[in-house]
Amino acid sequence: MTWILICAIFVVGLWGITHQANMVKKVMGLSIANSAIILLFVYYGSLSGTTAPIEGSGDPMVDPLPQALMLTAIVVAVCVMSLALVIVYRLYQRFGTLDIRGVERGAWKLND
Amino acid sequence: MTEGLVVWVMLAPLLGAVTALLGKLLRPLQRPLSILGTASLAVPAVILTLLLGPVMSGESLRYALGGWPEPYGISLVLDGISWFSCAITTVIAAAVALFSLGRRRYEAGYFFFLLIMVAGMYGVALTGDLFTLFVSFEVVAVTVYVLIAWEETDTGLAASYKYLILSTVGILFFLFGIFLVYRDLGVLSISLISRALAEAGGVRNTRFMHLALAFLCGGIGVRTAFIPFHTWLPEAHAYAPHPISAMLSGAMIKVSFFALVRVVLEFGGTYLFELLMWIGAVTALAAVLSALAQSDVKRLLAYHSISQLGYVLAVFGAGSALALTASFSHALNHALFKSLLFLTVGAAVSFTGHRNIHRIPPLGRTMPLFSAAFFAGALSISGIPPFNGFASKGLITTGMEGSAAYPLLWVTSFLTIASFIKLSRIFLPGPRRAGTTPSSGNSNQGSVPGILQTSVVTVLAILCLGTGMFGGSMAHGLYRIIHGTAPDAIPRLFSAKKLLGVLPAVLLGTAAFVGVSTQWGRQIAGRIRRMAPELRTVLLFFFVGLLVFAVVAY
Repeated sequence: MTWILICAIFVVGLWGITHQANMVKKVMGLSIANSAIILLFVYYGSLSGTTAPIEGSGDPMVDPLPQALMLTAIVVAVCVMSLALVIVYRLYQRFGTLDIRGVERGAWKLND
Repeated sequence: MTEGLVVWVMLAPLLGAVTALLGKLLRPLQRPLSILGTASLAVPAVILTLLLGPVMSGESLRYALGGWPEPYGISLVLDGISWFSCAITTVIAAAVALFSLGRRRYEAGYFFFLLIMVAGMYGVALTGDLFTLFVSFEVVAVTVYVLIAWEETDTGLAASYKYLILSTVGILFFLFGIFLVYRDLGVLSISLISRALAEAGGVRNTRFMHLALAFLCGGIGVRTAFIPFHTWLPEAHAYAPHPISAMLSGAMIKVSFFALVRVVLEFGGTYLFELLMWIGAVTALAAVLSALAQSDVKRLLAYHSISQLGYVLAVFGAGSALALTASFSHALNHALFKSLLFLTVGAAVSFTGHRNIHRIPPLGRTMPLFSAAFFAGALSISGIPPFNGFASKGLITTGMEGSAAYPLLWVTSFLTIASFIKLSRIFLPGPRRAGTTPSSGNSNQGSVPGILQTSVVTVLAILCLGTGMFGGSMAHGLYRIIHGTAPDAIPRLFSAKKLLGVLPAVLLGTAAFVGVSTQWGRQIAGRIRRMAPELRTVLLFFFVGLLVFAVVAY
């Protein structure tokens, strides 16, 4: 069940990226799809044990590696998303619209 | 002890970047600190020279970061492929950084991002596990988004956004591929994966690993920019600042390509070779047709980057040991001549303030050295002896002998010549006063390039000539670097038959150029030019490409 939910989140994210014309919503879509991948790793990691990966409790620990990896991936994703929003803001200042079609029409026309 | 040196290849540009960033705080020291930061590139250059000996004898040096051993820690691996990848990065980065130093408008912040990007590219080259590969790719990507939009032009910002969306989607699938690998094999280190797959009886005998390989290839494919993942490249490379275009075309797509080579070879994905060869050949031909239709000088060069990468990919797909050497040697040569072309043409664009091929007045008299350097680059890319394009195209011909995809590459070669005949009009010696009085009222007109910039392009031009004249021994050395053993035989490059083979290509190229200049040819060119795809189409392209890889995997 959880697998299907994660898959659904991923597809929603991809749908947002491809089908929304609003540039901010595209960035949201990226963020959602990225969260799905992060959930995938963390959920898979959580299946391997019952307690947090701290030595000494006696119970089987979960595999700490996926969590460590995803911490890094989250940091990377935050960088990319914030940069994306900065670019969107600048584009909005230039073109006065958040619609990607309007931006592309304006941008590629200038140069011929 | 020598293993310890490997990590400094990556650390030196990082420290250089920090130095450059200090220049942003201490305004008066901005310029010396930028120079100091750039000088940090000398460290990798020295280290790579020192380590050439062990690499040539087939060793691969491993360094565990922080002393943590392989399954848990991060390890850096320096073998033939990563040595070569680092070497290309170093040469192009040094040229680009020096060229940028020659222009006062690039400040400390610019060098900070440039050096971080270089460090990320060393990371991509040296990393021993898939997750660090992902992180390094993202380090490169974040800096590239910033640098493409550095001059804050409308087009630069839009191109940066387009690249950001596409490559982030690509990297998500890459991450998914990593997940599949970790789930089924429990390791991420590339050498351990290779061993685990060999024990399982090859990638095709596992349930999901070929799917993982397809996703990994798709993710890297966006960075490497072959069809159908190429769609971000024309805009990103054309509207970035000129030195950055040179860096992207010269080094970045090559480094990603070497990562692709490593992943495919270590996974044992030989069944992908056929697909890669056809993709490469189609990429080469389709991109050169688009290039021929362009009227924007930098877009034309950007399409040529895709096209030449098609060559590199196609001959890699041919699969033999010699073909791999040919592929790497063309990658090196393309790095040299394409960064040279971007720097010279970029200088022409900022000098005149025009990007259209027909508006730039002939600059041959205003910038004689730049023109000479440009023609060295143009002759190289067209494959005219004795420049280096001829040498590596000769190797490609031998490497792809008997392959059905070769005719596509042959057609590409004369169309390349045609489009460079078209481009070279901007550097022809024009009438006496043409270059000195560009159109009046043009506010963004630049000055004549300084001595530093001129010497950078001169050195690159000499390198193009040198790697061509000594193409045979270059290929010999390259073979030893990649395979660790001496080759049986490298085909003779300057044989009479090959020299004569250039002649029909030149004739057909001229004919194609004349054909494009006619009324009818111009109409078609205009139609191709207007086909610039929207972001949504581009994303659909990406998914189709991913699907193709997944289907071939089955």
